[in-house]
Amino acid sequence: MSETSAPLSIPWLVKRQNDALLWTLLAGLAILPLLVSSPNLIRLLFMTFLWVTTSVAWNLIGGFAGQVSFGFAVFYGIGAYTTALAMNAGVNPWSAFLGSAITAAVASLIVGLPTFRLRGPYFAIATIGISEAVRVVMTNLSFTGGASGYRIVEHCAFRQLEHYYAALVLAFIAAAISIFISRTRFGLGLNAIRQDEDAAADLGVNPFAYKLGSHALAAALTGMAGGVFARYAAFIHPQGVFGFHTSVHILLMPVIGGIATVWGPVLGGVVFGIVEEEIIASFPEIHLLIYGALLILIILAEPGGILGAFRKLYRRLHGKHAG
Amino acid sequence: MTLIDFVNLVISALLLAGIYAVMSVGMTVIYGVMKIVNLAHAGFMMMGAYLALELFERFHLDPILAALVVFPVMFVVGRTIHWLLARWLPSSDQPTLPSLLLMFGLWLVLQNLGYLIWGNTDRSIYTSHTLSILRFGSVTISSVRLVVFIAAVACMGIIQIILNHTWFGRSVRALIQNRYAGQIVGVDAEKTASVTFGLGIAFAGLAGALLASLYSFNPDFGRPFLIRAFVIIVLGGLESISGVAIGALVLAFVETFSILIVPAGYQLAISYGLLVLVLIFLPGGIAALTAKVHRLA
Repeated sequence: MSETSAPLSIPWLVKRQNDALLWTLLAGLAILPLLVSSPNLIRLLFMTFLWVTTSVAWNLIGGFAGQVSFGFAVFYGIGAYTTALAMNAGVNPWSAFLGSAITAAVASLIVGLPTFRLRGPYFAIATIGISEAVRVVMTNLSFTGGASGYRIVEHCAFRQLEHYYAALVLAFIAAAISIFISRTRFGLGLNAIRQDEDAAADLGVNPFAYKLGSHALAAALTGMAGGVFARYAAFIHPQGVFGFHTSVHILLMPVIGGIATVWGPVLGGVVFGIVEEEIIASFPEIHLLIYGALLILIILAEPGGILGAFRKLYRRLHGKHAG
Repeated sequence: MTLIDFVNLVISALLLAGIYAVMSVGMTVIYGVMKIVNLAHAGFMMMGAYLALELFERFHLDPILAALVVFPVMFVVGRTIHWLLARWLPSSDQPTLPSLLLMFGLWLVLQNLGYLIWGNTDRSIYTSHTLSILRFGSVTISSVRLVVFIAAVACMGIIQIILNHTWFGRSVRALIQNRYAGQIVGVDAEKTASVTFGLGIAFAGLAGALLASLYSFNPDFGRPFLIRAFVIIVLGGLESISGVAIGALVLAFVETFSILIVPAGYQLAISYGLLVLVLIFLPGGIAALTAKVHRLA
């Protein structure tokens, strides 16, 4: 996994073009609802934006810094519940989303503080532990309705486009942060930590602070995604937002697209967002089986994901032309 | 709390510790030799439990004897999985991202194969002696628990003997201490890893089969035990067999006595709380603590 190539080494995706691609995508998707008015398509895209956000967020810590987390549902769920509780208390949705980001980031410290000082498998293990523990607590907590869930009452008409744009902006922010980080010293530091933590520390990178920082950032983005989802769904329950499958989805997307790259997680999120509902609809019993098999297949056959496969293909074609 | 209650609690904690130790030892040997965190451990425990159930229902085999049959079967399963998947992972002296993701994917596959084959209803193994109790004055012991405990302790004894007195055990210990030095003096790392992987999976299956005669289970059976196994091997310092025994004792006692204070629904939160405390105060596990005390003395 510790490929030496920098995240931006794809020849046709240099800096400027990266920016251009991002802005074009934003503009295109912003105009889209004006051209087609299909509530189903809008809903599909809305969910896809949220998946892209969480996928890009996971990649900040799991990809760039190489610290695998199996518990991102914790942040998604905490974000969802924060927004839900805040909105029912009369807070406006935008401040509620911000609140979600803050609570999720604080929650990320609970996993990060004890584990990031250490090396080895501790972080990965702790993420499984905390997601189980949090779900147990949330199913038993009385003021959020426990296992029977929590309803959000918003005293205004349902405007789907408002949700759509909120999710679009969030996904844009996530992608922009990811691109920005990959260009800064912070991003280089994370890269160094993934490849060799000792060497990174020798070069003056503080692995503990770097990991904690990118984990908190990832949690904040995931928490906001949870909040945006909660407002749209208007009903959330622990088995959904805190569910094991939520963690699996969030982890699977960047792996599909290409771990530790800028566009891989975006691609993974898009593919997953579009395919996921089909898979769940066609194979409700075994969709996690399919995801597990996919995970094994990708790790053994093409650890670089879709983007890695493209890169290989490009090199092969390029090589042929040159020869 | 009366003295009798206290004695009863101590006994049930001890009995629990035995099964916890067997459950965690497989994970420790795999981690020690290959530096792979076996996230699929829960899946293999589940397989062991259902194998025992099938043996019991189809061939009317006693669940404890069934566990002894499960062991070699799961050993073969483990070696096959090593051959198919695990051996392709890059070797490393730290758990790698691909190894974590691979084992996680394997867990998903096993768990959902379980749902596909056995459905999601809770199953249990009920025999004529499931509810029988041994009485010593006012102290009562469930006889199945006692038998399971004896089987568990016997297994721990056997693995201790294997590791200490056989050539294979010596290779395992060499690889745990230093992979490269081990290879230099002629340890066949690939073969040892394969056998160790098989052994680790076999112990997971055995623990599942033993637990099956104590609790009801479904395809999601092993998950709460996965976290417990983690806590135990972290307490034990990740790579030591005797550490596992101590870790199992600590967790079993904490869990058993916490029932007095904390509602049963929050049991998993207790394992996790313990994990966090250990990581903060004792990152090297209990062995590091005793070493420290030793140095001071």
